[in-house]
Amino acid sequence: MKKLLIALLVSTFSFSVMADGHAEWWKKAGAPYAGTVIQGVAENTPPGQFAGEVLAKDFEKLTGIKVQLENTSWDQMYDKAIKDMEANSGIYDFVYIEQDIVYSYLDRDFLVNITQSLKDQPELVAPMVNMDDFTTFIDYFKDESGDVFGMPMEAFVKVYLYRKDLFGAADAKSGFQKKYGYPLAPATSFAQWRDNAEFFTGYCAEKGMECWGTTVQGHTGHPASTYEFLESIGPSFGLYNWGVSDDFHSCVEGGGSLNGARAKAALTFWTSMLEFAPPEALQSTWSEVASTFAAGRAAQGWVYGENAAWIASNEEKSVVVGNVGVMQPPTAPGVMTQAAAGEGYIGYFDGGAYGIPHSSKNKEATLLWLQYIAQSEVQADWAVAGARITHYSTYDDPKVAAMDQIADGYFTLMQNTGYLYAGAPMYPFHAAGRAAIDPFTYAALAGEMSPSDALDGACEALDKVMKDLGYQN
Amino acid sequence: MNSSKTAWLLLSPTIVILIIVGLLPFLYVLYVGFFNWMPLGKNKEMEFINFGYNYRELVFDKFFIDSVWRSIRFAIVTLALELTLGFLLALSLLSSFPLKAFFRSVHTLPLVIAPIVVGAIFKLFLVQGLGPIPFLAKELFGFKLNYMSSEAQAFWTIVVMDVWHWTPFVTLTLLAGLSALPQDPYESAKIDGANNFQIFIYITIPMLVPVLIVVIFIRMMDSLKIVDEVWMLTAGGPGYSTRFTGIHIWKEVFEKRTYGYGSAMSVLYLYITIVICWILYSVMVSRGKANEDE
Repeated sequence: MKKLLIALLVSTFSFSVMADGHAEWWKKAGAPYAGTVIQGVAENTPPGQFAGEVLAKDFEKLTGIKVQLENTSWDQMYDKAIKDMEANSGIYDFVYIEQDIVYSYLDRDFLVNITQSLKDQPELVAPMVNMDDFTTFIDYFKDESGDVFGMPMEAFVKVYLYRKDLFGAADAKSGFQKKYGYPLAPATSFAQWRDNAEFFTGYCAEKGMECWGTTVQGHTGHPASTYEFLESIGPSFGLYNWGVSDDFHSCVEGGGSLNGARAKAALTFWTSMLEFAPPEALQSTWSEVASTFAAGRAAQGWVYGENAAWIASNEEKSVVVGNVGVMQPPTAPGVMTQAAAGEGYIGYFDGGAYGIPHSSKNKEATLLWLQYIAQSEVQADWAVAGARITHYSTYDDPKVAAMDQIADGYFTLMQNTGYLYAGAPMYPFHAAGRAAIDPFTYAALAGEMSPSDALDGACEALDKVMKDLGYQN
Repeated sequence: MNSSKTAWLLLSPTIVILIIVGLLPFLYVLYVGFFNWMPLGKNKEMEFINFGYNYRELVFDKFFIDSVWRSIRFAIVTLALELTLGFLLALSLLSSFPLKAFFRSVHTLPLVIAPIVVGAIFKLFLVQGLGPIPFLAKELFGFKLNYMSSEAQAFWTIVVMDVWHWTPFVTLTLLAGLSALPQDPYESAKIDGANNFQIFIYITIPMLVPVLIVVIFIRMMDSLKIVDEVWMLTAGGPGYSTRFTGIHIWKEVFEKRTYGYGSAMSVLYLYITIVICWILYSVMVSRGKANEDE
């Protein structure tokens, strides 16, 4: 007991000495830039909010550098950031780089090489930042030589969420068993997903509850729907990298698979789920899907992991606290084997980083800010607030472990099976390609085109873009 | 200083501003329209192709042509509805009725709302699970209103939104025109035994032609270049159903980053708009003259 007490005291003392040392370093490093205001633009997500409302203020207290983070909608964020970088206007000192757009930014030479900048200015290198503590997610933001162009600030997987209270209800269990001949359980196959969705839509209606069988991120005027199809549904059916071949063809005739059998099966399944989805599904982006689930309006669904923590724990925003189940989404036969072998992936590993545009007028102050958010010691609270993990050590933090229990093992799932998921393919034409596919996704969701016709049209449109941009021979 | 010089002096700040914010950007767009410029492509540089390449491509671009027809169809439908409703409201506002001033003020309110806000208001009213309109449509008429679920519903929702927003403009303009009409022709017509319908067709309408030309001209141009409200409400979906040319150009230029082609598209659409308005103007003026001759 005595030894334990001494160990505790020693560790507390060492930690406080270390923390004071860190504070001193930040004060000293920030002194030349005190009073500087650095401006950033990012998507309004739980991790972004934490960065703007908590980390930015802590950083300002230590260094005197004020961080103004403009958290806005996804499309506005891109619009503002890209226009600023194209015009070289220098409005923003740092911008959010989602994993899928980084190849475009690198291709267009928008971003400052952070590794090189720190090498050139050793006085700005924060000694307490351990770049080796970053998970492999940081690799998405490196160039071929391994230099970092974006400091990861969020990483999460898109998971299957379900309502434990509904799946555990005795009358639901017996009703399901009677109707389908097998026990009610969270879906491990698409057939089971469909049965669950159909069952709970009827079950909720019978009980006069405002809930439906499944979520669908099916906005018919926003790219979120195309993303759900290409990044989550498609891969789980075996459609990888948008169905684009190595020589940039997406139609089956050219060697691609965007209109192949797996893609058509995926789109058919996904659009058929609309029958069992809440009426707002056709106006839902990732944010609305999370809100729908948090409002108790869906029994199961695909939900971005960044929302898992608040849905599971925030009683002010969520009515399903204590009833959130988390699992890996189901996959079609063969997909899991391919993913485990590194030949495919089962879903989306999303996330983003903050990077510095060449046009920034406060690069040094911004380098300090990016290192501040890269410290292992600020990660745990951020993870709890935004269900995002970018550092290995974060998994071991007691706060994270506690949240992991509340969120039904979401962090454990991410840690153990994260390698089965993947980010977007390395296409510099990402936005143009997706924009070509969008109208066909929307038409399929609205029932104006069959899934087969929609994918035939989508692959033709995508092929035209890749040809126009010079990627096809 | 003579009056001409004073006039030019007073006008000069406006002219300078117009040149900077209007003429120069237009000339730049015209210039870029002759280039192949796609920053997302393998070749990111501006590359001169030839004077007609982008325009020739546009003539065969199904999606662009469809968007133009969609915009024209939208402009015709909204113009017809706004003119009809605006005329009826203007005529009713000519007569006296209780709370007329209050009605006139309330009816004018949509005019002062920014288009993007109009889009946001309609979105809030129409959103599933929250908006009152789908709820009432289902409860009162058993109609499943989900404007993002069908191309027809999306298109007509935009039409209703535009009519709501701009009919007051038509009403106010026609009301001003109607109030200013001379009374002598009406008195003569009544003495000659004309009924109200004949008076409306043969006296009111011909005398209102100048005002109608202005209203039609302005509303046609506005409808053809609609973007903000649609962007907020449907963003062009579902499918291509509300992808009017303004939205189509935005998506080409800012999502696909096809600057040269997008610029050519903008110039061609400006030309189409001018031609449509010129045809309308010519028809209206010749009709007006024909009526005067009769």
